[in-house]
Amino acid sequence: MTIRSLPPPDLSKTSFLIVEDFEGMRAILRDILNRAGTGRIAEASSAVNAISMLERTRYDVILCDLHLGQGKNGQDILEEARHRGLLAPHAVWLMVSSEKAAEMVTGTVESRPDDYLIKPITETLLFTRLIRQIAKKQALAPIEAAMREHEYLKALRLAEIQLEDKRAQTPHIWDLKRLKAELAMHSGEHGMAKAIYEEALNLRELPWARLGLAKIHYNEGRLNDAHRELKAITDGNRAYLEAHDWLARTLDKLGDLEGAQAMLERALKTSPRAPLRQLHLGEVALKRGELTAAAMAFQSSIDLARKTPLKSMQPYLALSQTRLEQNDTNAALSTLSALSIDMHDTPAAKLLANAMQIPVRLKSGERNLAQNLAQDLAKLLCSEAQHLPTEAVFNLAPHLLELGDKATANALLGSLASNHHEHPEHLERAQAIYTAAGLESEGREVLQSAARIATDIMNRGVKLSREGNLDEAIELTREARAQMPNNARLLLNHAFLLIAWMEKNGRESSRVQEVRECIQIARKLKPEEKRAGELLARLELLGNDFEV
Amino acid sequence: MSTDKLNLSTFLLSSIHDMKNSLGVMASYLEDALAEGVGQGPVDTPARRRTAQALYEAQRVNNHLIQLLALYKIDQAFYPFDPQDQPLCDLAQEALARARPLAESEGIALDCDYPENLYGWLDYELVFGVVVQALHNALHYTKSRVRLTFEANNEIGATGIVIRVEDDGPGYPDFLLAQGNGAQQGINFNTGSTGLGLYFADVVARMHQAGGKIGRIHLANGGQLGGGRFSLELP
Repeated sequence: MTIRSLPPPDLSKTSFLIVEDFEGMRAILRDILNRAGTGRIAEASSAVNAISMLERTRYDVILCDLHLGQGKNGQDILEEARHRGLLAPHAVWLMVSSEKAAEMVTGTVESRPDDYLIKPITETLLFTRLIRQIAKKQALAPIEAAMREHEYLKALRLAEIQLEDKRAQTPHIWDLKRLKAELAMHSGEHGMAKAIYEEALNLRELPWARLGLAKIHYNEGRLNDAHRELKAITDGNRAYLEAHDWLARTLDKLGDLEGAQAMLERALKTSPRAPLRQLHLGEVALKRGELTAAAMAFQSSIDLARKTPLKSMQPYLALSQTRLEQNDTNAALSTLSALSIDMHDTPAAKLLANAMQIPVRLKSGERNLAQNLAQDLAKLLCSEAQHLPTEAVFNLAPHLLELGDKATANALLGSLASNHHEHPEHLERAQAIYTAAGLESEGREVLQSAARIATDIMNRGVKLSREGNLDEAIELTREARAQMPNNARLLLNHAFLLIAWMEKNGRESSRVQEVRECIQIARKLKPEEKRAGELLARLELLGNDFEV
Repeated sequence: MSTDKLNLSTFLLSSIHDMKNSLGVMASYLEDALAEGVGQGPVDTPARRRTAQALYEAQRVNNHLIQLLALYKIDQAFYPFDPQDQPLCDLAQEALARARPLAESEGIALDCDYPENLYGWLDYELVFGVVVQALHNALHYTKSRVRLTFEANNEIGATGIVIRVEDDGPGYPDFLLAQGNGAQQGINFNTGSTGLGLYFADVVARMHQAGGKIGRIHLANGGQLGGGRFSLELP
């Protein structure tokens, strides 16, 4: 057959956003779309414009250039838009790039655009991809909508129904299978995910499937198996960035810090604009005593994450600690003041920005200043103790002891012990702080009693629920949660009790909300915990919104 | 010194990028110029012939730059090789769209044949590059017809697909037949062929491996249209 130009698709009801810094390219895209009678075409020439337009309007299709000059790139915009829920479930995101880049073959379902278009953009290229992706997105929209409601089981079932539909012979069968595997991981169904990854690997060598398998090994504690799979991906090719990150994490856990650092540096060479990767590099370098490299990595992490949803206190605190170890007290102070400015909307950040000046002042010989600070902040530190990051507590506590403020140090380390009563490494580090201050037995008393209280509460909760006293058990764990808001085990136990209560007495939206909160925090604390997904799945079964 | 070397390769890379983008813009202007003339007055004027020739040259060099960049990344082990099940009808449409302006301006019949719903397991960008290059090449040497076909590999024991580009031109010279079929590789200064296109196609073919089978290219003369026939077999 002789092929003529394809007739343009009907886009009269489709709204577009073009994100492109180069006017010439915007004009080309606009012309092509106009030829198809596109109804609404909006344009943004920068990332900032794009975000503010996405805030106001839900577009059907976003055509976004990957490289937008200085500042945020297309990938950053996509991630922010997804993170903040600025995209409709059916929205198609096409990333435009002048070449195939490493960013294009990695990432999870949350970070991948729907497709990449490599320049030059012709009418045929744009339309064939648009038709295909719009159809795919429409088919997947119910799954996407369920995921947004955190209904992963429902999403999983919807994916299965589509996969079983033999008549349709779905053209995106592997997209669906990959999505199904990711959903299964979310719901704690590791076995189901593993089966998909293995099926895929039997057919072809697929980096995403091997990476999925490696993540399962890692989460289930088989670090050597994870290491083997990840090496198989990264050995031949340094473009598979996510596999590098996981390999670094695995090496770090296996104690091979040098290997972890090399892996992160290799990935950063391909793609340096990754704040979390820079943060991990800093942490590994700091552990190895490579202070200059650590400081550089933390600073990059701060710069890259500022004004993005990825910003956190961690790199600031780590950088000020590194500066202190380099004996550069001025740099440490200015990092802390950057922390309180950049993260002024996080209450703990302001407290820590002040409190972490204590070790700095001590180092620069300003003992009186340190003493005053400690006195001023003591009350706040005690009341906020449960919410402070562990690393900050470990750094601050020895100096409080040095200043003779045992009460505050006890409050900090005690609440650390109750939040992490199942984490022997943390308990040992806390004990070492007391031992170094000549307070070995007093420290043991504080830590043991804190950990014991936590264990007691768990046991009493289990006992009460076994006896059928769900209400009392819930009351107990709810109260304990206020004291130990970052104890993953407690959070999951509390969630479990609430779910058991609702299974008996019916769904209650305030309790559903409480369960979600607990699981969300527990997941952040312990991403590898399979129970979180299983509980989410049980929670979902409570809802009668299961008609598919 | 290693820093000098680093700077030079950085400059080379960014310059190749720049040249490639620039040539891409030139090629699209030339396409527009040729499209304006289609259906208006005589097709075969000297100005049109020269414009078409300029388009061919711009596309040829553009293809080469794209191939150089990809080869560099492959050589340095950071090409993001990403084979997936790809709909071949889309690949065909998109590749033909890149060849059509030149074909139309020169009055060459460009046809294409593929089964509905045929998928190929391939790295889209690399294979696309090979197919576009083969089409441009065929358009240059053909008399009147170029055909692109996609089919499932029907040889005994074979899996995968075969992509063919055929023409009714004089066919490949002997030295290219030998080079394309693996007998020799490299630059032939006597003929002006750098061998880059074939080398690229060969590298791309070999990167595609499955079930113990490796992709390959094959050059032949004759075929259905009687001229050159380029085949890319992917497992």
